[in-house]
Amino acid sequence: MSIDSHYAHPEALVTTVWVSEHLKDENLCLIESNEDILLYDMGHLPGAIHIDWQRDLQNQTIRDYIQPVDFAALCSRSGITPETTCVFYGDKSNWWSCYALWVFRLFGHEHVKIMDGGRDKWIAEGRPLSREVTQRAYSDYPVPPTRNDAEIRAFYDDALLQSRTALPLIDVRSPDEFKGLVTHMPEYPQEGVLRGGHIPGAHSVPWKQAVNKDSTFKSEAELRKIYQEDLGLSPDEKIIAYCRIGERSSHTWFVLNYLLGFQNVRNYDGSWTEWGNRVGAPIEKSL
Amino acid sequence: MPYPPKLESIISLFGGLSDPEKRETLISYAEQSCFQEPKPNEKFDLEDVRKDQECTDTVAVYLRVDEEGNAHFRVTLGPQVQTLTRSMSSILCKGLDGITPREVLEVPADFVPKVVGAELVRVRSQTVYYLLTRMKGVAKVWLQQQQRSGDPVTGDSSPE
Repeated sequence: MSIDSHYAHPEALVTTVWVSEHLKDENLCLIESNEDILLYDMGHLPGAIHIDWQRDLQNQTIRDYIQPVDFAALCSRSGITPETTCVFYGDKSNWWSCYALWVFRLFGHEHVKIMDGGRDKWIAEGRPLSREVTQRAYSDYPVPPTRNDAEIRAFYDDALLQSRTALPLIDVRSPDEFKGLVTHMPEYPQEGVLRGGHIPGAHSVPWKQAVNKDSTFKSEAELRKIYQEDLGLSPDEKIIAYCRIGERSSHTWFVLNYLLGFQNVRNYDGSWTEWGNRVGAPIEKSL
Repeated sequence: MPYPPKLESIISLFGGLSDPEKRETLISYAEQSCFQEPKPNEKFDLEDVRKDQECTDTVAVYLRVDEEGNAHFRVTLGPQVQTLTRSMSSILCKGLDGITPREVLEVPADFVPKVVGAELVRVRSQTVYYLLTRMKGVAKVWLQQQQRSGDPVTGDSSPE
């Protein structure tokens, strides 16, 4: 399958076939980012490096992301320059690769792509894996002037304002999490949240609606039906997406931003593990 | 309670490894997890096959208790189960092999960070503890069955 040319930014997606033909491109860096922290070690795309969303992208003390100087160091030791095209892929239908891509965008890295279908599709097609830890030549990535939190990241106060002013909030968790019937993701342990439900006024659009069975993204027409026709979102609206810790909502952020061309979408990475624990945060439940 | 001898030796092995070596060893244990599956025609006293809410795939735990009252576990894991949990299935099947069901109940879970390393024990990796819980659950059911049947063999070989 080729990439749907009707996507707003079809260049942000590449197929497994494309990747297999570009494994040796010097200006390209394949980046695997997974939920399963040992999966890269079990075998990865030849030449791919590993970015651990928790160890590499997050501050190890407070709940926040790394600073620009840390990002520059990460890229430098990974052999990435500002001109490098980073192709992200991973497990879980590309949740964590979208998350890593979103963090790269926080620091303004321009050339980013997702391998459609992720790791599972590559393996299902019988393509090769390597156990060799990739060593790329050290680069000298300049320290980005800032982390662009204001552009693509939302905080608690932003989400609260969004709720109070009846602007679109997209809850991408499972329906039972949205309703407040459970306080954990289906098939996952409890991640420590005290209250169930959703942000008042939020719309439930589980991330999974955006993908096919093989984890590839749905077509532009299918996605536009879900988010524009059925939900009534418009491409120039201020939109905030959230989940539990920001990884599933990164996936939806990628869909809205890159595949549908929405111009003002932010990811609330504090998400439900912040909102559902916050004293006094308003919560809505539904049946 | 001290760890069972086989588990203790695995813990000691990990204790002497650097973080990269720990990772490699965990991978090696994960790859061996298929060898912990039931063999053809193998008979068990208890089989517990289910998919719980907090686990990404089906986990089956099989228990056989031999004539001396010693437990032997087998485990099968669905394809979506995380690598770390695969490693743990090998470690636990080997580490708990040959102890009594009652001793299984007393195995403390605090060995997990010693084996896995603090860096790899994360909120979303908590299912590494899940497998031990499942094994203890099976051992407990076996002990209850023995008590109900009035069988004097409680699986406890140590005097109380």
